[in-house]
This record gives sequence, C-alpha cells and structure tokens, in this order.
Amino acid sequence: MDKFVCVRLVQANALNLTLFQFDYDLTFTVFLLNADKTIYGRFGSRSDRKDAGKDISMEGFRKALAGALDLHKRYPANKALLAGKQPRPTRFKTPDDFPSLAGKYKPTLDYEGKVVQSCIHCHQVRDAERRFLRDDKKAIPDEVLYPYPMPNAAGLALDPKEKATVTSVGSGSPAEKAGFKAGDEILTLEGQPILSIADVQWVLHNASEPATLTAEILRGRKRIKLALDLAKDWRRQSDIAWRTTTWDLRRMAAGGMVLQDATAEERRAAKLPEDALALRVNHVGEYGDHAVAKRAGFKKDDILLSVDGQTTHLAESELFRYLLQRKMAGEKIPVTVLRDGARIDLELLMQ
Amino acid sequence: MKKPSIVLAGLLFLGVASLTAAEDRKERVLNDRKEVEASGNWIYNDLPRGFAEAARTGKPLLVVIRCIP
Repeated sequence: MDKFVCVRLVQANALNLTLFQFDYDLTFTVFLLNADKTIYGRFGSRSDRKDAGKDISMEGFRKALAGALDLHKRYPANKALLAGKQPRPTRFKTPDDFPSLAGKYKPTLDYEGKVVQSCIHCHQVRDAERRFLRDDKKAIPDEVLYPYPMPNAAGLALDPKEKATVTSVGSGSPAEKAGFKAGDEILTLEGQPILSIADVQWVLHNASEPATLTAEILRGRKRIKLALDLAKDWRRQSDIAWRTTTWDLRRMAAGGMVLQDATAEERRAAKLPEDALALRVNHVGEYGDHAVAKRAGFKKDDILLSVDGQTTHLAESELFRYLLQRKMAGEKIPVTVLRDGARIDLELLMQ
Repeated sequence: MKKPSIVLAGLLFLGVASLTAAEDRKERVLNDRKEVEASGNWIYNDLPRGFAEAARTGKPLLVVIRCIP
C-alpha cells in the first residue's frame, strides 16, 4: 500500500458524484485511480445484510491493488482500454444537489458539534435519486431499483479471494449458455480490464437491456472470447432485500411493511396454491411515513393475498417493482389480507 | 509512507479495531479520525490533498469511502 497515496473519506457530503459512482448501499468501497482522475478499478461488493465480508477478502483486495499498479505502470498508453471504466454523465453533481437533500447538510462534518447528524450517508444518494423520480411522477426504472447487480444475476459465482474467477455457473443461466466454466478467470468484460468483482458489477450496472457483453477469459493457458447474452429484464434476478435503500422502497410501496414469502406450511394451512400471492407481513412500521400501513389497518402476520388485483406469486421486490413502476404517490391500492382465517379488504396509500 | 501492517488492514476493512459495543456512533466517528490519522498512512477526508500528493509523487490513488456504522 505504500505504492499508493491513500485517502480515506468518511462522508458523502459534497462527494463528487461525477467521479465517485458506485453501489451506494455499500459501507466500504475503494477507488483506484490516477492523479488525473482516470479510474483504474473499483473494489467492494456486498450481497448480504448481516455478513458484510462475504463478498470481499484481503486476498482479493491485494490482487486488485496489484492489478491497479500494473495498469498505472502502463498508463497512459492503455488509456483507451480504460474508457469504459470512467464515470457516466450524471444530473446531480453532489448529493447536496438532490432536492430532498439540498440545504440540509454542510460540505464538511461538524466534528465540534453533532458529527453523526452532520453526515450524508452514501445510501442517501440512492434514496434521493429514487425520491426525485417518485416526486417527479416517474416510474422507477429497473436499473435504479436493481443497482450494481452481483454477477450471479447472470449466473456467475465469483471467488472473493481472486479478482474475478468463476467458482460455479448457474444451470440454464446466461453464463452457462455463453460457455463459462468454473475456474475461468475473467480478464476483460466489454473490453475493460477487470480487477475485482466490483469491476464486473460496474459493467453489469451500465449494461443495457437486452445486452450482449463480450468477455475475454483465461482457461488454463488459453485466452477465450465469450459472448454473454442478457435478456430483457435480466436485472430482476438481483436480490435487493438486503439493501439499506430497500427500507425506503418499503415506505413508498408498502407503507412501511416488511414482507416475506409465506412458508410452505403457512400456504398449506391457508389452502393457498404454490403460485398464489402470499406475502406475510413480518414488520409494520411504527412512525411517520413508515406507519402508513399501520394506520390503514395492516397488522403483523397478515398474509397479503391480493394487491391491486394481482393474485399470482410475487416476491417482495417484485411487488415493489410492480407498484413503483405503475402506481404513483397518492394513489390508493386495494389489498386483501388473510388474518385469523378471515379475508379482510384494506387500502394501501402509495407514497 | 510506513509499510502496511495487519492493524492497517483491519482499519481499512472494519473501521477501528478497538471498538466495543458500548461505544456510541459519535465516539466511533471521532475515534476513526484519531486512529487513522495517527497511523500516518492516510490522508483523511481531504481529497484535493490526495490528488495533489499523487500528482507530486507519480503514485496512483487509493480512495476508501467508508461509512462508519
């Protein structure tokens, strides 16, 4: 690490979003870049609420650093190769520019006063982006609902101890159809040199729908080119339940309820078929905008059987997508719940 | 710059190694700055200084963005 100039930022206040674009649900992320702001790579991935270390390791980090040093040594001759790794145009240049955050925070932390309250957290950037769309009466698109997909959305499980080495390939997945195999090392994706799982996520995040991504992999001593076909709606394979920012989706679409698929036992007891909607209310918010469902009469352990006429199986995130792409704030949605064996009709206010 | 150490690695990944559950968030934020600055390896919350140092030395930058939980 003595080969790098090391900077630690612990705030998103005044963070330059034209440069630092990453998965804002992360509490730890790394940028490796040149003094002229050319990005060599990113590091930091997460797919689990409790286990923040599941998708990263010191071994993988060391390899990403070594890869960045190699790119730095060959810079600027390799600048064209790095073009795809650079930030995309963005409407808001800093978090403070979002309407919901404007005027609430200062550019620096208040170390002499309320230091915690003076901090804009990274997840607030994603929250603010979604709130901006919602307030503007726009549907929240898939790329904003499912940001920075983990490679498993395409059927690739990668080893956190390596830069981007495949440990397994999902059966029937786009990765399997493309010809990926366990042990393959992804050298480039869309021509971008890959230093980490986060670099793979960057490519996926910016991929269109549908898309064909070109990968160069190392299998044994052979370099092989593969074409990864991603169908329309491929992002929807991403699990977003772990994300901090999903909390605000629950406010918008569920009035503060946390929903979970009913168990097989609960379905049997209620005589509900496997393909029927059956989302159990695991939690009902108590305060403010998160108590909208509570005030509407929803209770913990209710089972949602019908939402806006939808009665076929939907996971929590699928229900949120349905509502946040079709229903605007202020609309009231009919909901039928099962409670103690009785069906009860309620109305849920969209926010 | 000093050589990296296990302590430094811990700082990077976990924030501050010496935390106890009893410490509140404010203390964690204050301790993070104190301990990371004391390590001597890091420029703390000062990106322009980081870029200037990288331009001066010819080294690449490693920027950690860390939300202290």
